[in-house]
Amino acid sequence: MTLMDFHMLLPYILLSMGACLLLPAGAFMRRPDARTLNIMGAAIALAAGISAICIHPSQADIGNLLAFDAYDRFFTAAASFMACVSLLFASGYSARRPIGGEEFPSLALFAAFGMSLLASSTSLLGVFLGLESMSLSLYVMLAANKSDPLSGESGLKYLVIGAISTAFFAYGLALIYVDSGTLSLAGSIAALSGGAGTAKITGLGLAGWALLIVGLGFKTSLFPFHLWAPDVYQGGPAPAVGFLSTASKASVFAVFLKFTGAVGAPRAELSHVLWVMAALTMIFGNIAALTQNNIKRLLAYSSIAQMGYVLVALIAAPGSGEGAAIFYLVAYSAMELCAFGAISAFSGKDGELGDIRELRGAGFKYPARSAALSIALVSLAGLPPTAGFIGKFGIFYSALNSGYVWLSIIGILTAIVSVYYYLRVVVYLYMRGGEAEKAVAFPEADFPSGLALAALSVIVVYLGIFPGKLLNLVASLTRLTV
Amino acid sequence: MNAIIFYLLSAAAVFSTLMAISRRELIHAVVYLVLSFFSLGLIFFMMGAPLIAALEVLIYAGAIMVLFLFIVMMLEMGAAKIPLTPFWKVWGPAVVIAAVILFSMSLLFLGTPQTPLSPMTAFISPRQFGQALYTKYYLAVEAASLLLLFALVGALYLGKRDNP
Repeated sequence: MTLMDFHMLLPYILLSMGACLLLPAGAFMRRPDARTLNIMGAAIALAAGISAICIHPSQADIGNLLAFDAYDRFFTAAASFMACVSLLFASGYSARRPIGGEEFPSLALFAAFGMSLLASSTSLLGVFLGLESMSLSLYVMLAANKSDPLSGESGLKYLVIGAISTAFFAYGLALIYVDSGTLSLAGSIAALSGGAGTAKITGLGLAGWALLIVGLGFKTSLFPFHLWAPDVYQGGPAPAVGFLSTASKASVFAVFLKFTGAVGAPRAELSHVLWVMAALTMIFGNIAALTQNNIKRLLAYSSIAQMGYVLVALIAAPGSGEGAAIFYLVAYSAMELCAFGAISAFSGKDGELGDIRELRGAGFKYPARSAALSIALVSLAGLPPTAGFIGKFGIFYSALNSGYVWLSIIGILTAIVSVYYYLRVVVYLYMRGGEAEKAVAFPEADFPSGLALAALSVIVVYLGIFPGKLLNLVASLTRLTV
Repeated sequence: MNAIIFYLLSAAAVFSTLMAISRRELIHAVVYLVLSFFSLGLIFFMMGAPLIAALEVLIYAGAIMVLFLFIVMMLEMGAAKIPLTPFWKVWGPAVVIAAVILFSMSLLFLGTPQTPLSPMTAFISPRQFGQALYTKYYLAVEAASLLLLFALVGALYLGKRDNP
């Protein structure tokens, strides 16, 4: 451990030590309030994200655990920025809804630490530790509102599902280790691919990889493992749910991408499985979302469907697919966070924003956050000129190029179906008359979350009009191997 | 000889785990789980990992299961409505498994030098284990300790009563 190592580990040190230091911070403040503590947490996360961009790695990895390629630092920075934005949303939200204390921002920072570890680990051990750090913090963040039974239910449901998926994941890791004899991610993928100098993989190893995919599928709510999403999304505090549905899924996909990008010969068999999963995820998510009236359940089904699109890009990899997947993950994270930020801005003392009919006419009374919500929803629907359109275009383009015509057709058809339920919310927002103006009183705007919403809306639109810079960056990331 | 003991212990572990997940009475389930941990500990010992064997018994069978027992007793689930069964029917299987474990343990520890029960694979001493942990995997140890710290923080947060 040298000084150089410390320099490279800076984002991790900032996130983990920041999380630790935030815990006793309340004791030293004259009037500790949730708002200040959340903003402090956001500042730490921002610093960690910037440091992840700025460090110049002097060696490939540290301690056989962490890699510092551009790919890894990209996802570290992304997780930190998402934590920052979620904490900005939480600053106003936790003052209105009773989420007191230092624990929420501290756990959010630690979750970001886990996500960074997950995305940039070179070892299966690190992947497991990162996954657990992330999920453990999220269980508590979802249950953070102790006065709301729904929040507790959400946390408990995620805990039970998380425990099951961890069991699958850990058992898979053990079998892979038994078979390949190495904990290194690259080494075990090489063993699976039947690379030179590796023993032939046996049934045990294959079972291990299958269990691993099940575990990852749970975390990203892919088709047969998606049923937890609606209840968890509905009950949890909006900033925590936003964080869960973006940052955690993005970092799990970072691992998924390393896997599908590097795997060799078994690609064909793997893509059959993923093909079915992707198709069913897109169909199920979009059709189930059609009948939802609760906006958070609607977004839960929509996020299931969106993960299906990312999976399409994964199947189309290698080549253009990986780039399309990462671009879409960024775009999805921005628009989903924006939507959940608007929901938390609409959630006051009386409860979370639930039924979308409560939003009737809100677009005229609360123009700023309604505009942000509309931009997010239009982008989720994949309409131009937003990031969602470019992202979906990239995914279907790469899928068609790789010869997955039917998958693209299913994807495009379901994307068209999805326009209905996204725009339905927008229609309610800007609907006049009727029994409306019954005036559900929404809370006053608060500056930090307004700032974050504005920034996210600008990102969503900017990426829709000028996607070139991010596309180039993403293309440079994917030239790297595991 | 080794193989026989291994299969005996494996059977004991599988059987007691099955019993643990199928008992209606929570205390019985916990006792079976303790037996399962003991058999696993001995299997680890046979495979040449004495430290893991000791940890399995000390931490899992010892600390965690005692904690479980405390929780079960604190929750006061009330007497489960199970029909009265003869004593031997309730405790018989557990006693048999315990006898198997004791028998294997005595063979393993009291084996005469003429019939050395050699470890099945490599032998890892506690010193080697510690060195690997704190040199090769030091970052993972740090991450795991942070993980435990935040598990504690989360449990405290959810468990503590808010003062109004």
